Amino acid sequence: MMQSGTIKKKVFDWYLFYFVIALVIIGSIAIISSTYMLPAQSRIIRTHFIALFIGIAFMSFFGILNYQIFNDQWKYIYALSIIVLAGLFIFGSVEKGARSWYRLTFFSIQPSEFARIGLILTMSSFLERNLNRISEFFYLFLGLLITFPFMFLMLKQPDFSGILITIPVIFSMFYVAGASSFHVSIFLSYVFLSSLFPLLWTAIVLNPSLSDNFFISIFFELADLGWNTLIFIILIAFLSFATWKVLNYFKRISGFYFAGFAVVLIAGFLTGVFIKHQIKSYQYKRVQVFLDPAKDPKGAGYNLLQARIAIGSGGFTGKGIFSGTQSRLGFVPERHTDFILSVVGEELGFVGIFLVMGLYAIIMYRIKTISDLARDNYGYFICVGFFSLFFSYFLINFGMILGFLPVAGVPLPLLSYGGSNMVSIFIIIGLLQSVYSRRYSIT
Amino acid sequence: MSLIESKNKFDRFNFLLGAFYFVFVIFLIKVVNMQIIKHKYYLELAERNRTQVINQSAPRGKIISSDNVVLASNKPSYSLIYFPERSYSSKEIDKISFYLARYTNSDIKKIKKIIERAISSQKPLKVAGNLGVNSIIRISELKNLFPGFQQISEAVRYYPYGAWISHLIGYMGKIDSTQWSNYYSFGYSMDSLVGKTGIEKMYEKYLKGRDGGLYMEVDNRGRLIRIVDTQEGEAGNDIILTLNFKMQEAAEKALSELPYKKGAAIALDPYSGKILAYAVKPGFDLNSFVDYSEDKKESSPDIKEFNIGVQGTYPPASTFKIITSIAILESGKPHYDEKFFCPGFFDAGNRVFKCWEKKGHKYMDLKNGLANSCDVYFYNAALKVGPLEIEKTAEQFGFGEKTESPFPGENSGHVFGPKKRAMKKSYWFIGDTLNLAIGQGETLVTPMQMAVFISAIASRGLIFKPYYVDKIVKKNGDVILENFPKIKKKVKLKEETWEKLYEALGEVVSSGTGQAMKISGLEIFGKTGTAQNPHGKDHAWFVCFAKKPKEDPKVAVAVLVEHGEHGSTSALSVAKSIVKAAYPTNISDGKEENIQAVVTE
Repeated sequence: MMQSGTIKKKVFDWYLFYFVIALVIIGSIAIISSTYMLPAQSRIIRTHFIALFIGIAFMSFFGILNYQIFNDQWKYIYALSIIVLAGLFIFGSVEKGARSWYRLTFFSIQPSEFARIGLILTMSSFLERNLNRISEFFYLFLGLLITFPFMFLMLKQPDFSGILITIPVIFSMFYVAGASSFHVSIFLSYVFLSSLFPLLWTAIVLNPSLSDNFFISIFFELADLGWNTLIFIILIAFLSFATWKVLNYFKRISGFYFAGFAVVLIAGFLTGVFIKHQIKSYQYKRVQVFLDPAKDPKGAGYNLLQARIAIGSGGFTGKGIFSGTQSRLGFVPERHTDFILSVVGEELGFVGIFLVMGLYAIIMYRIKTISDLARDNYGYFICVGFFSLFFSYFLINFGMILGFLPVAGVPLPLLSYGGSNMVSIFIIIGLLQSVYSRRYSIT
Repeated sequence: MSLIESKNKFDRFNFLLGAFYFVFVIFLIKVVNMQIIKHKYYLELAERNRTQVINQSAPRGKIISSDNVVLASNKPSYSLIYFPERSYSSKEIDKISFYLARYTNSDIKKIKKIIERAISSQKPLKVAGNLGVNSIIRISELKNLFPGFQQISEAVRYYPYGAWISHLIGYMGKIDSTQWSNYYSFGYSMDSLVGKTGIEKMYEKYLKGRDGGLYMEVDNRGRLIRIVDTQEGEAGNDIILTLNFKMQEAAEKALSELPYKKGAAIALDPYSGKILAYAVKPGFDLNSFVDYSEDKKESSPDIKEFNIGVQGTYPPASTFKIITSIAILESGKPHYDEKFFCPGFFDAGNRVFKCWEKKGHKYMDLKNGLANSCDVYFYNAALKVGPLEIEKTAEQFGFGEKTESPFPGENSGHVFGPKKRAMKKSYWFIGDTLNLAIGQGETLVTPMQMAVFISAIASRGLIFKPYYVDKIVKKNGDVILENFPKIKKKVKLKEETWEKLYEALGEVVSSGTGQAMKISGLEIFGKTGTAQNPHGKDHAWFVCFAKKPKEDPKVAVAVLVEHGEHGSTSALSVAKSIVKAAYPTNISDGKEENIQAVVTE
């Protein structure tokens, strides 16, 4: 692995830096072009470049700093991340229905971007310390327990897209660390259930005619945590117990699986109830677009369609920089943030999107290479975490715009406008540089 | 544990990288599909987004009478559009809006606001609509000084006969929010005009054409590049009415010539219920609702929406004696030959009822009683036949219920009688019987009910639902909707009743109160009526139907003139004009013949 010949003995991985800067340049052009008609253009561009400057400064700082310090001080990192998130409920301000921002005099900060880095660092420490035991169910559970405060606080804001980004990262890290696939899939089914129930309830809220059905209305009332909820839970427990007993009659099976099944189902259900109560009415719309995109052609579905028209109309070479009509005339919403890809696709065409995808692929490969060179497992897990974070962003943002996934407010790192996101991504690059510069072969 | 030892365990990272490459390839395929394979499709959608449209309202469907006279058509009107090709200084805008406000007769602030909005959004906007030729000529001079203004022509509703048939046709107005929510999916814009009443409202979706428009291409900043396409609108469907224009014209003219303010004249085809003429005075000028804005200030529309033809109720007065006569003939008591003495009054014990002829009519049988409208004969006869029978007959002929004509807000009138009284737990007196017999008292009818009644008499008991839309035709002649006569009820009477009734009604015109109605070559059957009105002058009624000898009746007419005093004069003259228009070949009436005879002598 170490023999990858391309890596030269340098303190700083300039290649990674060049690729990152290349993406930022493409992003900056797209942001300038897409905000042309917006009244706040000058403010947006100014903020963008200030964030870029701060980001590069942070990258240099974290690149020079020895990343192993964070491993030693993991308790402080963990505490700080939680405090930063919890502080939102005291000092945070509400924007677009979510309490996700610290409003300061000159700018706003979205702390969950930074808390996520803290979470990945803490997880890396945990995995490094429990590498041999992670295949045991208990330690996997313990690791998930660490993430629990983060998840809870993000749900409370609510920041669903933040959770959507984080969950794959956590499971990827556990998986790479060597957790049993069976255990991971148990927890994945828990996550699946806890999102399935709110989705079903939302579907009923959006189609009131459904609740005419007796069973559906009973199911809907379960979300109210009344007596029937208790009966439902007892019923699940009893049914799994009974199934086990009956099957046990024919062949001896451990009751562990059935108990586990009941626990996962009930836990998923209760989490679903909790999530359901966090969903704001405007967020039903998003779920609706996911469940039935044709229902809201002028709303979120319309936006997505316009974004796709922008990309498709770009063709091979695009309409030229500053010449896209779709994004510039305002057909594409959030065009300088979550939908930035449509601007690139329209103005730079297939060449532009391929360039962006290629740069991402190279950066990903670069992170993988750094992980191979990492001098300790902590550095290695940092690489795994950030790799999966980039993967997560890439998958959800591209997937949404290309039409594979529902609308989610997830930015495209290094391309989208967004100060906190930009700075946090540069911090990540800095940490990766730090791992690289302290690689195994240098000392 | 050192890193090297655990390395192979971490091959799972390679799996993760593999997953990334997999996703990468899938996304790449999708991007190729969108940007290269389906490029044309998306490009077309994007191009469509780039064009903006300025609506040009299409001509509405015409409203045509059954004899091909256009009652509602369209004429061109001009709108002024400002294309912000170059922007003006605020001083220039002040100047432009000052002149434009003067030429288009609108508010200076409003125009200024529109121009400023157009400049700031860089989008073309309509500055003024509904401009007349004068405005356009004056504006065209202005256009040379200040480029960027363009006029487009639109079709605007025009009613050649102004206030005629106004209640039936209805007027148009700006779409309001409740209509907007019903119509917006049919290509209406916020400043569309829609029918507000009458046919214009009821058949809005047939009359409305497909609007054309000015399709403009805008650049990536939303600025106008060029006008790509001007699409002609598609005219709406024509509505052919059952109205006969000649009869309508006769009715309108005759009504307007009368010195009385209000009146209604309705002519029906007795064998179909088709409305042949429907004139209500006063009407309102339909053009005043859509007319040029420059005239708008002067003519504040005077809406007389109250449609007395179907909404006004009046005592039927002597015309109701037809009902009483039918009751007498059907029951046979008193026998139609039985005579009663009329001294000019009737002593009902505690009260004396007068005949309209103070001198009295002497001895009267049914025929003469009806012909001379002798009240005393009907008092006597009614006491013999009984009020219950009269009430039953009135209900049989549809009094007290709606005629189910297509007019909105129809009044059902009122019939009274011993049965109704009993239902109200009230008493019935002899005086009530007497009032009932001569159509006074509580009985109230609408002119439309009267028209339907007299057509039922003409057609030997066929009661049709009146209607006025014959068919709706597309521009290419295809019939979209066609109305057919609908029988509401059939009244069965003895053959003898009909014969005797016709004899008596003919006598009204030949020697009775309706002698002025005589038209040579026509057999006319009618009845006058003078409704006592405690609030002023009496209302005048005349109902009749006409036929050529040995033919079926072609027209039945009911005329009401409010405060028209005697049915034998005012109302009758209107009915006569209508009947003459219905039989255009027999236009000479008795009087003229006499005069001619004198001359030839």
